[in-house]
Parts: sequence; C-alpha cells; structure tokens
Amino acid sequence: MGRGSCGGSFGRGVTFSRPAGRRTFQPTAMAQFVRNLAQRAPELVNAAVTYSKPRLATFWHYAKVELVPPSPAEIPTAIQSLKNIIRSAKTGAFKHLTVKEAMLNGLVATEVWMWFYIGEIIGKRGIVGYNV
Amino acid sequence: MVPPVQVSPLIKLGRYSALVLGMAYGAKRYSYLKPRAEEQRRVAAEEKKRQDELKRIERELAEAQDDSILK
Repeated sequence: MGRGSCGGSFGRGVTFSRPAGRRTFQPTAMAQFVRNLAQRAPELVNAAVTYSKPRLATFWHYAKVELVPPSPAEIPTAIQSLKNIIRSAKTGAFKHLTVKEAMLNGLVATEVWMWFYIGEIIGKRGIVGYNV
Repeated sequence: MVPPVQVSPLIKLGRYSALVLGMAYGAKRYSYLKPRAEEQRRVAAEEKKRQDELKRIERELAEAQDDSILK
C-alpha cells in the first residue's frame, strides 16, 4: 500500500519505508518504535517465558542427574576407577578394548578437557582472547 | 523421554576439577598478562610521541627550507 504501514503493528503506521526524497530515518520513527517496544515489553517477556519454561524443565530434569558435581561420597569410587585405568595401562589390558570403546573413551576425555577451556574463559573474563 | 544417564564419578570429578583448574589458569594468566600489556602500551605511546615530535621538526625544517623567493 505504497508508504502504508506493514501490518499496523507499529502503531501509527509510520514504518521503515523511506519517504520519497529522503534517504534517512526520521528520528520520530525510531522514537515511535522504541516506545512501542517498551509498551509491548511485558507481552514479549511473557511469550519468552512461556516458550522457555518447558525447555528449561527438560534441561533441569537431565542436568540434575548428569551435570551435578560429585558428592564427597563418590570420590573414593572415582579414585578407584582411576586406579583401574592406570592398572590397565600398566598391564597392557587396554589393548583389548574394541575400537568403538576406545573412540567413546576418547570422546569422553575430550569433553572433560573442554571443561578446562570453559573454566579458562570464566577465569579470564572474556570469550576470545585476554582483554588486557 | 530418555532417562538421564548415570555419569561415572570419575568423569564428574574430572570435569569439575578441569573447570576449577581452568578458572585458576585463566585468572592467573590474565593477571600475568595485564601489567605487561600496559607496559607495552605505555612504551608504544612514548615511542609514538617521540616519532611525532621528530616528524614535526622534520616537517618544519622542510617548510623553512622550502621558503624561497623563487616560489
């Protein structure tokens, strides 16, 4: 509809269509957009919450079991598993692993090592590079 | 939904200790690099100032020599 509004969702119909002869945003259009956004903020927030709630619930459901840090009671078990690994390395029993098992172990080890890099990101307070 | 997997305690221990170690390493290295970077910046700024000064003198000298009645 020529310079009409695109769907009326921007209130007064002033949209981002360029008026003939002008090549820039008129400041009032931007102000109108910001005002509209501020007015509709509660419903946007609501929509975001409704979308994320079930997904957060699923995430929490799995994270509670899988991502929880080890409790002090589990540490002896962990040390025992470590000793098993060292023993298998010493006796050469690791050569009897199938390739599939070895690959899975490699993947798990890689994932554990990646947590180190995530820790480094947290420690250096920047995602890429040290912002000194 | 697939039931959540019971992760071996060794893996959990490994993950979280790697996380903590990583945080410590990142923080340490940051505090090591920060003063060095500031020093480098300071030195670079000083050097730049000196170069600018030299260029300015050179430019004024060139202008002065350029001045002649045969312009």
